[in-house]
Amino acid sequence: MDKVLQFERRTKPVDPGGPGPGDDGDGGPARPKVERPDTHDLLRRMRRVDPNQARRYRQRTGE
Amino acid sequence: MRLFGLETEYGITIDEVDRVDVVEESMQLIRCYQQGKFVPLWDYRLENPRRDERGFEVKNLLNDADEKVHLQQDRKRKIPFKELKSDLIIYNGSRFYNDHTHPEYSTGECISLFELVAQDKAGERIVDICARRRTEMLDQGVVRMYKNNTDFEGHSYGCHENYLMDRSVPFERILQGLLSFFPTRQIFCGAGKVGVEREDRAPIYQLSQRAEFFEVIASVDTMHKRPVVNTRDEPHADAAHYRRLHVIVGDANMSEYMTALKVGSTALVIDLIEADCLPDFRLKDPIAAMKNIARDQSYAWLVEVEGPGHRLVPAVEIQDAFLQLARREFAGRDRETDWVLGAWEDVIEKLSRDPMDLVGVCDWVTKKWLIDSFCEAENLAWDNPDDLFWMQSQDLEYSNVDREAGLYYLLESQGQMVRLVGDDEVAAAMSEPPSGTRAYFRGRSLEKFGDYVSSINWDRIVFKRNGRQHAVDMKLLVDEGRVRRYNEVLDNSETLESFLEALEKV
Repeated sequence: MDKVLQFERRTKPVDPGGPGPGDDGDGGPARPKVERPDTHDLLRRMRRVDPNQARRYRQRTGE
Repeated sequence: MRLFGLETEYGITIDEVDRVDVVEESMQLIRCYQQGKFVPLWDYRLENPRRDERGFEVKNLLNDADEKVHLQQDRKRKIPFKELKSDLIIYNGSRFYNDHTHPEYSTGECISLFELVAQDKAGERIVDICARRRTEMLDQGVVRMYKNNTDFEGHSYGCHENYLMDRSVPFERILQGLLSFFPTRQIFCGAGKVGVEREDRAPIYQLSQRAEFFEVIASVDTMHKRPVVNTRDEPHADAAHYRRLHVIVGDANMSEYMTALKVGSTALVIDLIEADCLPDFRLKDPIAAMKNIARDQSYAWLVEVEGPGHRLVPAVEIQDAFLQLARREFAGRDRETDWVLGAWEDVIEKLSRDPMDLVGVCDWVTKKWLIDSFCEAENLAWDNPDDLFWMQSQDLEYSNVDREAGLYYLLESQGQMVRLVGDDEVAAAMSEPPSGTRAYFRGRSLEKFGDYVSSINWDRIVFKRNGRQHAVDMKLLVDEGRVRRYNEVLDNSETLESFLEALEKV
């Protein structure tokens, strides 16, 4: 199956009566066709995350 | 029909502000949903979280030391309770309010998994819109909202699941089923977490955000000494026939697929419990098992089960045992059941072969894939505290509900995440209630006759007209036929008078 079709299947909402979303032929989810995050967009976005964001993030206990 | 729903407490912060007043900000964020004056409608008299389904009531719920200090400080504020809670009921039948300084979105009752996913995602969109509106009101900073379960410093908040079930089922049988299912289901529905917050604070990746916060087997508490099985007895239905299983062990999922599989597989296990058809596994120590599975870096996920000798069983085997029974008992029952059975089987198979095959499906796998790639690109080390904070910051950003900033949403925009619902369905769910349940009755009643509603709760609406109150009890609105009749009356009524009159004849 070509990549275009795979992309469409991964983003198309699933029909609960049909095969599983992102179906790879056996009714289950398929693995994305990339081995690592997109180095241009994803890693660039991740580098922009403040290294101290989690250090400052303080919450109260919830339920 | 089985009703289910999700309650998600969101984390809240403001970029560029050192000390955020979470009490004030959580309240103000909720208020940003509506343009007009806040009118408190939620009826708290119908709630009692201290009642235990084992037949007693505790005097007080437990709070940790931090929370006790906060509560003392909060008493000095001059904000009335109802104002602080800021309870809103949305036309889609959901509840949006301030719960323990966390904006909480509770979906309306659903009977379809895919509708539940749309309603849950609608909650994310609503929270995000409110954050943007609140940001516009501030002199400085950007309000950030996170669909996660921890601040990495020991403060956890929940994503609770609710399932209506048969009250006649003995509590011991409920325990038997859930104490082997809950600790092991995190292998697919855990959200993943960088670091450990308690005890040794090991610099490792865990499967679950919540696993390390559970300390007892069963209790009514939810904030301190949390139980694997919560025993709060608030059925919001006819208490003679129903109990509401209030599940607090789960993580908040960004993945639509995992939200559906988490709730779908749990609903099937409840079906098995009701049918008295359970696998023959009993974990020796469910609490230790939950923590050990979350921390196991080998992904063997071995747990000790009762029986002769020291018998270790992989968590995937226990999940598979539940799956095979569910398949035997319920396969072919309806389309969603078959979807859950197929997805559950596929995920178990991939977990036993190579968990990384579930990037784009499982939150914990996807997040690990992101973190590992980032560590490799930036040469970060797990034993370097500064590097660990940066990894935790990435962990946090995965759950940022801002679709222009969150890492999950960047992956989704790249087509890397499996979707179950379309953006148009999510947009519709922001105002339209799920079909076929009393959530429709609640939401549409408000939309149609909201000016006359004087109070509301999950199972009751009170209308006030010409000085007289008319209470509509919704405790029995949990069966298909009655729901259909009530909803038809509502749809066909032009005035409140004709509506109330017609309801009396149903």
